[in-house]
Amino acid sequence: MPGFGPLRYALLFVVALEAVAAAQDVAPIDVAGRVIDSRGRPVRGASVTVDGQPAIVPSTTDARGRFQLAGVPTGASLVIAADGFQTGLATASAASLGDVVLLSVQEANEVIEVKGEAPPDSPGAARLDRSEVSRIPGTGNDLVRTLSAMPGVVNSQFPLGFNGIVIRGSAPEDSKLLIDGFEVPALYHDIAFRSIVPTEAIDSLDYLPGGFGVEYGRAASGIVALTTRPGADQATEQVETSSLDAGALAQGKAGKLRYMVAARRSTIDLLIPLILPSSLDLSLTTVPRYYDEQLRLDYALSPRWTLTASSIGSDDLLEIYTDKAQNADKRFYNRTRFARFIFGARYSDGPWTATLAASVMPLEFKFESGAYQFIDVNQIALDTRAEAIHTSKNIAGLTDLVWRVGEQTNISHYDVDLALPPQPREGSPQAGFPNPNDTSNRFDGVAWTPDIGLWSALTAGLSPAIRATLGLRIDAFTRSNDVATQPRADLQIKVTPDTTLRLAAGAYRRPAENQEELEHPDLHPERATQTILGMENEPIAGLRVQTSLYYTDRTNLIIRGDDGVLRNTGVGTTYGAELLGTLRRGPWFVWVSASLSHSVRHDTPTSPERLFEYDQPVSINAAASWRRGKWQLSARFELYSGLPVTPVVGAVFDSDANFYDPIYGKPYTQRAPIHHQLDLRVDRSFMWGPIHMTWFIDVQNVYLNQSTVGYFYSYDYTQRAAFQSLPILPTVGLRGVL
Amino acid sequence: MRWVVLVACAGCLSGIDPEWQLDHDRIVAIRATPPHIPLGGTSTLDGLIAHKGEPTDLEQPIAAGAPTAVEGLGDAVTFDGQHWNVAGFNEAQLDQARLDLGLAAGAPVPLDVIVQFADSGGVQLVGKKTVWLGDSADNPASVGDVQVGGTPPGASITIPSDVDVPLSTDTDTANMVDWLTSCGTMHDDDEHAAFVHVQPSDSHAGELALVVRDPLGGVVWQVWPISAQ
Repeated sequence: MPGFGPLRYALLFVVALEAVAAAQDVAPIDVAGRVIDSRGRPVRGASVTVDGQPAIVPSTTDARGRFQLAGVPTGASLVIAADGFQTGLATASAASLGDVVLLSVQEANEVIEVKGEAPPDSPGAARLDRSEVSRIPGTGNDLVRTLSAMPGVVNSQFPLGFNGIVIRGSAPEDSKLLIDGFEVPALYHDIAFRSIVPTEAIDSLDYLPGGFGVEYGRAASGIVALTTRPGADQATEQVETSSLDAGALAQGKAGKLRYMVAARRSTIDLLIPLILPSSLDLSLTTVPRYYDEQLRLDYALSPRWTLTASSIGSDDLLEIYTDKAQNADKRFYNRTRFARFIFGARYSDGPWTATLAASVMPLEFKFESGAYQFIDVNQIALDTRAEAIHTSKNIAGLTDLVWRVGEQTNISHYDVDLALPPQPREGSPQAGFPNPNDTSNRFDGVAWTPDIGLWSALTAGLSPAIRATLGLRIDAFTRSNDVATQPRADLQIKVTPDTTLRLAAGAYRRPAENQEELEHPDLHPERATQTILGMENEPIAGLRVQTSLYYTDRTNLIIRGDDGVLRNTGVGTTYGAELLGTLRRGPWFVWVSASLSHSVRHDTPTSPERLFEYDQPVSINAAASWRRGKWQLSARFELYSGLPVTPVVGAVFDSDANFYDPIYGKPYTQRAPIHHQLDLRVDRSFMWGPIHMTWFIDVQNVYLNQSTVGYFYSYDYTQRAAFQSLPILPTVGLRGVL
Repeated sequence: MRWVVLVACAGCLSGIDPEWQLDHDRIVAIRATPPHIPLGGTSTLDGLIAHKGEPTDLEQPIAAGAPTAVEGLGDAVTFDGQHWNVAGFNEAQLDQARLDLGLAAGAPVPLDVIVQFADSGGVQLVGKKTVWLGDSADNPASVGDVQVGGTPPGASITIPSDVDVPLSTDTDTANMVDWLTSCGTMHDDDEHAAFVHVQPSDSHAGELALVVRDPLGGVVWQVWPISAQ
């Protein structure tokens, strides 16, 4: 087609589909696909026509970039045009065309290359779309909170562990949380299950429950990778307030600079004093409150180079006394604050792309309980990350090759001063409060954790229907003198135009750098070997189904021996099945996820088998949303198993300390009851002068199912009460965008 | 952080007796008289036991032993037909114990005695009391000068209902204080200055107990009948 040289086509094809298309006859077909930009965002309003077929009614992409065309000759060329983008082409090779990527005019003037389809990073992985977060109720308009609806995420009414998320029944520290490629310690604030980054400041959220590639490391379970939002061509300013928090965001473009800046403060701390009964023996010196901030700058230095700078900050503070007299031994104080500053550069030239980034993160964590117990951690993390990617169309019979090589350094300096009881480890029962006088774990010193990771991987099409990735990651955890070699592989087989089978397997390591582990430089990384079989299927336009079976073998798990010493003697396994189905059709958005899982471990190879602390056999989430005009109605139902509980079978009264020491039964031989709840949400948009306003009401647990989260014992362990979830939790909010 | 959440919410939980509740089957305190015994001395064990729906009792253990004691010292816990005692150890045993426990020469040797009292309300009452061997110290002589509502209590106490009634003791600030009651709601129960508030829904008659523990393992208590009107 004259006038459309290949270097000017802003287009990505599904490589395998091209091959399949060649085998098809030329009968007319109905085709559907999605148009996205180079950042993966849907392109709305793009015109899709069939070249040389004026009789076929053109299509215009919807808000999600979707289009459909009827009666298209197989093999015909589709022409995709949108303002601000270079015209793109696609071949009508099958009913489902996958994603067509348009490059902006600026991008198209740089280098245009043809790549393979960008499949999920691993079997079972998913990317959450900012535009759809408001369609899943029960999340309070919080994209990160939407993770609770993902298969494989252990559900609870509260964030789990320090970082807030548990994937596939392991421990919270087994998964890593990344923002713009760098680790952050937590995703949630200390109250209200609120993420540290507001939805409007997020570009995308990738969820990789396992089987991820060599570019991710230092995790033995899963990865949650959040990317902040760059400024768009059209500048907007917006404010949003709800019963949880209030914030403002501005984003846009000024010359070659794209900017996004946002800040937020909690409002729930203003409401809590009004809710608590005055008879409660409580002095809220500092009601739980939080701040967070986000900044991102992208500067187009040249056609090949883009510079970026970003920062994420979070500050949580709480101080309470469990009496009205504010006695020192009744005081609880917690402050967690950190800021992650990232400076990066992206380079693109011909077949080469590269990213270079460096980051610094100061962190302070202070916790004081009563008169004697405290922990004070000051961390400075200096991290770097560099990766180069080279793509080739064809080498030695292999097609669409992608070769990547990269490195990362994670150097942290911890200044730790603590006086605490021994920290409960995975599986250490904790039915009541630790002895307030117990400061047997005393540490005052520094710890360095200089870690280096190197990786390389090659991805190539072996045939039109088969694509494989082989990679190797090597991590040097120099504090414990461990060098971990981690081979990983991923095989994708397109068995039909709509169905892809995937098999991923690999080795993974989690360094022993979590909390009390820092006191023990002789601890080695925990090991995991993951095997995942997955299937991705799009039987009809708009419907996508992902299923996976997984098996994870864990060794070197860190346990506390009977002598109180931490050592790497634990072993365990987790296996399960997961389903994620999404339907986007007309006014409907439907989301169904289900997980079946079983995770067991031995603290030593010869000790009895027991469940993992976060074993959750069943978890089901179903959400549906319907949008019409200015209204949007959504509902979500969730059902999941309660978490395991270790019963207390007795207690011994220590008369001199006036304290009861519990006697535990067999670990995790009881379980909290199944939890289920229904959440509803209503959104309505309207114009207020030039401001586009949206209000929403998000009500969790509408039928008041106050289920048991866990159990709480009396001081002498003779009585047990259920710790129950809130009967109902309404969130109201208002957002204005100028 | 989860501890904070639990603590903050603990007061919201119903169906669990608070630690100051005397209307509950429990050991309030175990006493060794004296708590530190020199070579050749004898210490006698007893305890203050609370019962649900009944007054507190001074009770004798039904069993006692020192299962974790270093070799030889476990035999120091004996029953004389009426009382359980700690006695009958010798200097060689103490020296060996000091060696095993890493103690300095001449230092008192702790002996953890597990004491069992008769079940109460179906609850097995088991506690631990540390008795120190090789030196001398007595239990505190009294719980200090006590004030209830600003005046010293008599043999029994009557307080007004539905107001905060201050309680205090002038015992040494190094001592641990434990106020308990089965009449009303206790606040700041482990402080030298506490207060009790009898709400209309509370029991209006019961007992008030004060237990004082000193840093050397000594303990003393006093119990008063109390009513609100």
